[in-house]
Parts: sequence; C-alpha cells; structure tokens
Amino acid sequence: MKRLVTVLVLLAMAIAMVLFLTRPERLSLADLPDYVADTTNGERLFNAGGCASCHASETEGPGKLHLGGGLEMETPFGLFRVPNISPHESTGVGKWTMLQFVNAMHLGTAPGGQHYYPAFPYASYSRMRLEDLMDLKSYMDGLPAVDNSPGDHELKFPWNMRLGIGVWKFLNLDPSFIKMVDEQNALLERGRYLVEGPGHCGECHTPRDWTGGLQMDQWLAGAPNPEGKGRVPNITSHDNGLADWSTSDIEYYLASGFTPDFDVVGGSMVKVQENMALLSDEDRSAIAAYLKYIPALSKVRQSVSDID
Amino acid sequence: MNRKTVLIALSAVLLSSTAIAGPDPIETRQQLMKDTRDAAKVIGGMLKKQKAFDASAAMDAFKVWQKTASKAGDLFPEGSDVGHDTEARATIWSDRAGFDKKMVDFSAAVDAAIVAKPDSLEALNAAAGPVFKTCKGCHEGYRVEKE
Repeated sequence: MKRLVTVLVLLAMAIAMVLFLTRPERLSLADLPDYVADTTNGERLFNAGGCASCHASETEGPGKLHLGGGLEMETPFGLFRVPNISPHESTGVGKWTMLQFVNAMHLGTAPGGQHYYPAFPYASYSRMRLEDLMDLKSYMDGLPAVDNSPGDHELKFPWNMRLGIGVWKFLNLDPSFIKMVDEQNALLERGRYLVEGPGHCGECHTPRDWTGGLQMDQWLAGAPNPEGKGRVPNITSHDNGLADWSTSDIEYYLASGFTPDFDVVGGSMVKVQENMALLSDEDRSAIAAYLKYIPALSKVRQSVSDID
Repeated sequence: MNRKTVLIALSAVLLSSTAIAGPDPIETRQQLMKDTRDAAKVIGGMLKKQKAFDASAAMDAFKVWQKTASKAGDLFPEGSDVGHDTEARATIWSDRAGFDKKMVDFSAAVDAAIVAKPDSLEALNAAAGPVFKTCKGCHEGYRVEKE
C-alpha cells in the first residue's frame, strides 16, 4: 500500500512537471517594446511571410487580401481548417490586442491561452523581431474584414488533444537562429532573418523527425511533400540541390518563377514565389546570398513513398 | 446471334483498338512540354538580357506555344495518369473542367501575344508575361512537383 502511494505521488508530480514545462507561455505587456508601428514594413513582412497563401479566402486579384480563411488542409494528422485572420470583429481577429497577436505569432499561444497547432508556422515566426510583429499587425488591421467562420479542425486521436502540443513546443520551439552568420554581413543577416523567420522556408524544405520537429542537420535539404505526392526540393548548394544556380538565378526565380532551365514554378511554390516577387530586389538578393552561404547537403535518400 | 453480327462486332473492336494504339499520349505530351520549355528559354533569355532581342525568334517561339495550346488538351485522356514517370496530377481528371479552363487561358494568352507582335523588349515582356502566368496557373494545381 505504501509503495502504491509513493508511485501515485511520483506519477502526479511527474504529470504536474510535464504540464508545467509544456504550459502555454505568454508575454506580458511589459515585454512589448515602446514603438510606433510602421505599416509599410508590415506589408513587406506580410508578403515575406506569405500569410495570404494559406489564409486568403479568394486566390485571385484583390481577393488575395481577404483573409477569411477556410482552406482545408488534408494531412496525415487529420483535416486542418485555416482560420479567419481578417480584422472581422466576431469571425476574425478584429478584437485582438497587440499583445494577443504577438503571443500568437511568437509563442503559438491563442488569446484564450490554448496552444496553436504548428501547422501555423509560429516555430519560424518566433524568430521575428517584436517590432516587426507589431508592424505586421498594424498592416493587417487595415485589410478588409471578412465575415466567415471556417469551423474547427478535424484531427485524429491523439492529435486532437491540444495539451500534447505543449510537448511538441518543449521539444521543437526555439526562437534562436539556426545558422551562424557574420553579424557584420548585413546582406547575409537579412537573408537569414527572411528565410529562417517570416519566410518560414524550412517548414517545407527541411525534413521532420518523429516528433514532427525539423531535422536541423538536414536544414533546407528537401523533404517529402506534406500534401502528398512529389517532393519539396533541396535548396542547399548540393549537386542534387541548387549547385548550378548562381545568386542571380535564385533572384530571377523568386522574381519571375523561372528556373535557369526555364522550367516554371509549380505546386504550392507558385503562391510562395508570387509573394517573393513582391519583395524588394535587396530582399531577394539577401535570400539568395543566404541560400548560397548555408552548408550544401545531399537530400535525404528517397523512400518509396516519397517518389510518387 | 448470327455469325455476321459477331464478325461486325469483332471488326469494330479491332478497328477501335488500332485507333487507340497510336503514339503514346504521355510521351507525346512530354515532348510537347519540352518544346514549350525550349521556346520559353528563347523568350526568357531575351527578357533576362542573356540574348539580344530578336522579333522573329520571339514569334517562332510563340508559334511553338500555339501548337502546344492546340494539342495539349487532347493528350490527357482518362487512364494516362501512370507510366513514363508522368508528372500529371490526379486533379487533371478529378477536376477536368478546371484543367480545361487553364488550357483555354493559355491558348488565349498565346493568341494575344501573337496578335501583339512585339517589336521591342518592353513589348515582348508585356506580351509574354500573361502567357507565363498561365504556365504557372496550370502547373500550380495540375502537376506533381518532383524536383
């Protein structure tokens, strides 16, 4: 009996410990810098982040800025429904405070205190400067309010338990940069920030381990396509990646959608490329410089399931 | 059933199968797409300023695209979704109307480029841009990305 009590107490302590370590974290108002938001920079980050690619309720023309959500993403974990992030007061995020927005982007924590699923790539956005997040919110506040309630995700057990996301965050959420760059090199630093942060390139171009976290030793070396058939390419300078691409080839691709061989961008990269085309030449140069700078890695050997 | 009917039915089957067994549609469309890309290379080389602007070479490239536009739609019959390492995505058949619309868009953009008959690099950019947009438009949802 005594032993049973000891076991139960230890178990309760262990559970409490896990819950504590994996609790949704939040910044407080005092953590926000005293800063006047810059909407123009917010627009640039909005494009770099490709927010509209997932959240736009219409995909053509000005409708790209109607962030009513509703896109359904079929994944091995179940069905994700992309939420409304337009400034609509009841169905969107119109009532969110700056702090709530920053907590969502930086820590993956919802205003109600729940964890967000990392299908929302906050693991990358967590590397963004708080000032930039504030700029982004001020830009998004000016977009059209869209009345649309996309509904809840329909995930399979055990993925439907949000508490588990805390464990995922404990293992995989790390706001430090992935690659070291010379802090004196402004171009590389800018490229690193755009690629590792808002651009969230690694979310698709880096393979994941069994916990669903990115395999940092395979950074940008290509991965199976999360949406099914095909592969997401290796974008390091390895022979089976971008070895033959110059920085100007990468810049041209991001601006136009054409590879050096004049094949055209396809799949989900189309929307990404169209966002990259909206950035400045300097931003595209910075991304290209960073991609040529990081270690060239061979893509992970394809398993039968990745081939088609 | 009398023997004549059987004979007629059999010959009908034989005739239709020889009609079907023409050149393989997957190989044909893959060659067509290679030609299309080579034409894009000509135009793109000029736009990228790797080659000098050449109005007649540009027009020849547009004509290659026009040929693609007139033929490609028929080269994706039901059942041509496997083999020859095809990059055709299942959406072509599950959303045929959407795919056909993309082909119409492509064809219209090419025709407009031919009518525009660009005589300068700027005009070429203006004429080819909408065509390139339709390439992406179709490859976005109807091609499997295989690197």
